Amino acid sequence: MVRRHDPEKDRLKKNKLLLWIAIPGALLVFAVMAFAIFEPIQVLPRIRLGPGFSLTDQSSLPFTSEDVRGDVVVYSFGYAGCGDECAGMEKTTREVRDRLDEIDMEDVDIRFVTMTFDPANDTPEVIAGVAQRAGADGEVWRYATGDPQHMENVVRSGFRAWYSSEDDGSFSFDPMLVLVDGWGVVRGEYKYQTISSDADKIVRRLQILGEEIRNSKGAASFAYEAAHLFLCYPRVPEHAPSCS
Amino acid sequence: MFVVGGFLAVAVFAWFVVLPRLQPAVFNGQVIQSGAPAPAVVLEGPDGQPVSLTDFEGKVVVMYFGYTYCPDVCPVTLSKLARVRELLGEDADDVQVVMVTVDPERDSAEVLETYMSHFDPTFIGLTGDPSDINRIATVYGVYYEPEESTSSVGYLVNHTATLMVIDKDGELKLILPFDLTDEQVAADLARFVG
Repeated sequence: MVRRHDPEKDRLKKNKLLLWIAIPGALLVFAVMAFAIFEPIQVLPRIRLGPGFSLTDQSSLPFTSEDVRGDVVVYSFGYAGCGDECAGMEKTTREVRDRLDEIDMEDVDIRFVTMTFDPANDTPEVIAGVAQRAGADGEVWRYATGDPQHMENVVRSGFRAWYSSEDDGSFSFDPMLVLVDGWGVVRGEYKYQTISSDADKIVRRLQILGEEIRNSKGAASFAYEAAHLFLCYPRVPEHAPSCS
Repeated sequence: MFVVGGFLAVAVFAWFVVLPRLQPAVFNGQVIQSGAPAPAVVLEGPDGQPVSLTDFEGKVVVMYFGYTYCPDVCPVTLSKLARVRELLGEDADDVQVVMVTVDPERDSAEVLETYMSHFDPTFIGLTGDPSDINRIATVYGVYYEPEESTSSVGYLVNHTATLMVIDKDGELKLILPFDLTDEQVAADLARFVG
């Protein structure tokens, strides 16, 4: 018996095989595109390590970065002689603190830390007065000062918060808030603007971080890592401080 | 034919572009996605010679901040890293362990060289000017502070005990907490070597 070669049948078979390979690939690409476009999972980027520090708080107690390891911390920077810029930043911080009940971080605490970049004048006694006026209780919200050289390392090199001392004793600076997670990783840098939505923005970022903390467990952690990989990694964080 | 060709193109794209990125590996440590070079480190290494992170280009650097008089955490960590190198087998050649001292007053280059070689002959200890070390430790998220002690060796130094992993391109990619097992550390490092 002679088996006849049927080219049409062979071609159909080949096309069928190619479809079996191509369709899953196409579905995969569509799924990835949908993931990137619709962002079913939002994450904040893991930008870089926040600094380690050994400072003194407004109660003249030692205060180190290890004391807030495991906590989510919103850092801000200023000095006692600061005017409206610091007042606005304090207001934003206070508003976010007063809205903590809108954020579910499971068992992770949220803390606020305001660091001075004028440690020569801002002794613990001085920052105690500033903290009291701002409404910082010393537990949820702490003010901190320290050795001038170390403060410079922490604020300028560690947090990359720009400031410059002026001849009249004042400082020029870019008001900013820095969000650091429990691993000590910077997750957001927010240049302060005197607009009312600043607190909304920070609260929303904290909510996103809270969702990640609560949900990225077990198999879901792969989805969160994928979100980081696709939504954050391709971007340069300095130019896109948030991928949410 | 066009339809099949289109699907094929998509499949090729998926295979070569999408799939390689679809490795949302869940590490035991914490991943950092900076994409920027790790903060510069130039300190005094063995024989007092300057050592820079860039000297280790092409290797995965595991950086630790500790000191030779450290009674517990440092020897435990360095012993762990020695075992991790064994677990990595041949890939261990791609890993360089570096300890930056947080006690430069007592840890000279010579003292560090002797100390590090007890754990593994490839381990390197770095020391230097205290202000340089403070700056480097700070930007690597490391806190340290001397603490008075009744110990016969004198004062102790409290310090952050995490490990930093810098990949072959010189980017800080991972933070490993102290309490990971040998196997967990080796599994994380295995993703960067080979």
